[in-house]
Amino acid sequence: MPSYDIFFFGALFFLVGILFASIGLNFWTLVIVFVFLVACLALGYSTKQKKFFLFSCLVFFTVLGSLFYTWDDQRFTKETNLVFDEKISFSGIVVSNPKISSGVQEFSVDLKNPFSGKILFKTNVYPEYKYGDELKFEGIVKSTEQLSEGYAKYLEKEGVVGLVSFPKTEILGSGGGPPIKSFLFGIRNKIAESFAKVLSSHEAAFLGGLTLGGTEGLPQSFKEAMRSSGTTHLVALSGYNISIIITAIMGTLAYFLSRRLSFILATIVIVGFVLMTGAEASVVRAAIMGFLVLLAGEVGRLFDFRNAIIFAGLLMVLENPKVLVFDIGFQLSFLALLGIIYLKPSIEKFFKIDPKDKSGFLNWRENLLTTASAQFMVLPLLIANFDQFSLTSFIANVLILGLIPVTMALGFLIAGLSLVSYSLSLILSWIVSPLLKIEIGFIELFAKLAIPLKVQFGLVLSLIYYGLIIAFIVYVQRFNSVRRKTQK
Amino acid sequence: MFKDLTLFVEKHRNKFIVLIIALVILDVSVWGRVFALNFDNHNLNLYFLDVGQGDSQLVILPGGVKILIDGGQPNGKVLEELGKILPPTDRYIDLVMMSHPQLDHFGGLIEVLKRYKVGAFLTSGREGTIQAFKSLKETLEENKIKTIILGKGDKVHYLKSAFDVLSPDKNFVLDKELNNTSLVVELESNNSKTLFTGDIGFDIENHLLAENLRDISILKVAHHGSKYSSLANFLQASKPEVAVIGVGKNSYGHPTKETLGKLRDIGASIFRTDKNGTVQVLINGNSAKIFSEK
Repeated sequence: MPSYDIFFFGALFFLVGILFASIGLNFWTLVIVFVFLVACLALGYSTKQKKFFLFSCLVFFTVLGSLFYTWDDQRFTKETNLVFDEKISFSGIVVSNPKISSGVQEFSVDLKNPFSGKILFKTNVYPEYKYGDELKFEGIVKSTEQLSEGYAKYLEKEGVVGLVSFPKTEILGSGGGPPIKSFLFGIRNKIAESFAKVLSSHEAAFLGGLTLGGTEGLPQSFKEAMRSSGTTHLVALSGYNISIIITAIMGTLAYFLSRRLSFILATIVIVGFVLMTGAEASVVRAAIMGFLVLLAGEVGRLFDFRNAIIFAGLLMVLENPKVLVFDIGFQLSFLALLGIIYLKPSIEKFFKIDPKDKSGFLNWRENLLTTASAQFMVLPLLIANFDQFSLTSFIANVLILGLIPVTMALGFLIAGLSLVSYSLSLILSWIVSPLLKIEIGFIELFAKLAIPLKVQFGLVLSLIYYGLIIAFIVYVQRFNSVRRKTQK
Repeated sequence: MFKDLTLFVEKHRNKFIVLIIALVILDVSVWGRVFALNFDNHNLNLYFLDVGQGDSQLVILPGGVKILIDGGQPNGKVLEELGKILPPTDRYIDLVMMSHPQLDHFGGLIEVLKRYKVGAFLTSGREGTIQAFKSLKETLEENKIKTIILGKGDKVHYLKSAFDVLSPDKNFVLDKELNNTSLVVELESNNSKTLFTGDIGFDIENHLLAENLRDISILKVAHHGSKYSSLANFLQASKPEVAVIGVGKNSYGHPTKETLGKLRDIGASIFRTDKNGTVQVLINGNSAKIFSEK
């Protein structure tokens, strides 16, 4: 067995171990590993093939994965010594960029002695706090265990141990935390501000979501419209979003520029994303995924992508083992990436579409294929987690995605120009405003035209679904290679 | 040379289409801006904005001057409403007025002052004690917005429209009850009179009654329809045809049965932002049209 296969399967088994531990299969992991081990050894003896013996060694990575997860979980629970449900005084440093939504300011705080750990903080909109502010509070911290299970797991994954709402607060100082991070958050907030000064609040919030991520400032009704039209990913700075937007940018840029140049520009956009959001862990994860998609487009035909994907996954899971099962964003990114890398070429082959054909207006064909292959892969996950998937979301996405790169580019231009002159950025907003109106209009229209797919995707149905997709990919690849041989 | 040009255009046809579309969009929006300045210039438009529990009104005078009175809570609602009313290219508000320094009146103004260019900030001069008031003052300073203090007897006029400040006087601006420090202004424009009352209570209403209160057309009902405002005498003397209440979900029981009953007694048509959404009153000099969102 070649070394790259050894790496792949080793990593795969390790991830399986983490998966088992995350869903609480601790004892059963050992049983499954044992059965697998016996089967491999038996097969090895009977067929005399070395690879089965190798598998029987690699399977131990599953146990390692489980142990790693358990160790990490233990470490996390030990970290807190907070007193819950009692009025206490404590102090800490703001470690996230505060967000304001529907009249509530939200951020996380790293606690100082005598307590330790990270808590989520909800308070009044004013005064506005900043990253690095040192605060003193008096209030009641609630444990995350009292929250709904999904939300609690999400917070736990983010390392948050408790929640405090509207405590008495006093600012002790500012400038804590690494200065580079405050600087980057400063840039991010300046950009959002430059949009707010030249566009109506709805359009500014939407443009902010597109370029910086987040739903801050969007009307509640519009958030729901995005959910039902299947376009929420546009403003969620996830790998899913980055990979779709990056391919749209690549496609549109390639319409004007050379492929190499658009690759470089798209890479700069990804780096820009990461820097401007203050390099938060979730965004770094997203960017790695987005970059993999880019790379796939560039070297896809020369390079086996399997190891790159699993390597990226392994790195992220080593950094935080909880993302594998408790981070929907992580799962969406991975599945979308797999869709774009494996399913898209197969669909292209099946419909005999030449991927180098850029003749469609703003590359709509490429956008449709990218969206469709990503959407097909995440469908069961979307239905299971958000209870909704609209059949018309493909059309909505294709219509909107064609405009996104131009909109984003104008957005960044507005941010840049606002440093030089308010009037110049205002004039530019007259071009971007109609684009935003069209995009918002499409989202609202397709929320009305949504055809929700109401299927309960259980485990069995999901397995069948993915089985069919894999069968399709294998069939297309086989069929095509056979035909190529006969043509020779 | 022309041949070369046509060849060049032929070759990059699609790119030219994109460029032309962009130019058309820019052109349309620039002319749209020009026309927006000239149309609808003779009407008085009053908007009672739905900002949840709180008060906010936008007045657009004949001639296009805009005055925003209060901004509701800091929940982003006033921005949403302004975005719906003002053309997207309009980033200027002539005057922003704060009736009194309570969060459900000035909270939303802070973001407005950050996002829009504002000609001047009008206040009674009474300062707030809550933390958010400090944020308001900082925002005014950072954006170099001029503050003008108004009191009883002052007047703001533009063309044939005028705002008369009826309250507070030197004593009331120091009142222990913050609600009583509210700027009360009467707008006379296009043959109509509108009274903006902030959160005033009985004391101020009695004072206004003693000062010869005039018959008005439209009343912004005081204090979200609280039972400690809107004296029967006061309503009978001012006799508004239309009464609008800025109110949202709240635990105070606003608007109260008592106030609604008194308004019904004088025969006013009652609009409330929690039930009707944003209410627009359009006055052309002869007649008034009222539009409500819901």
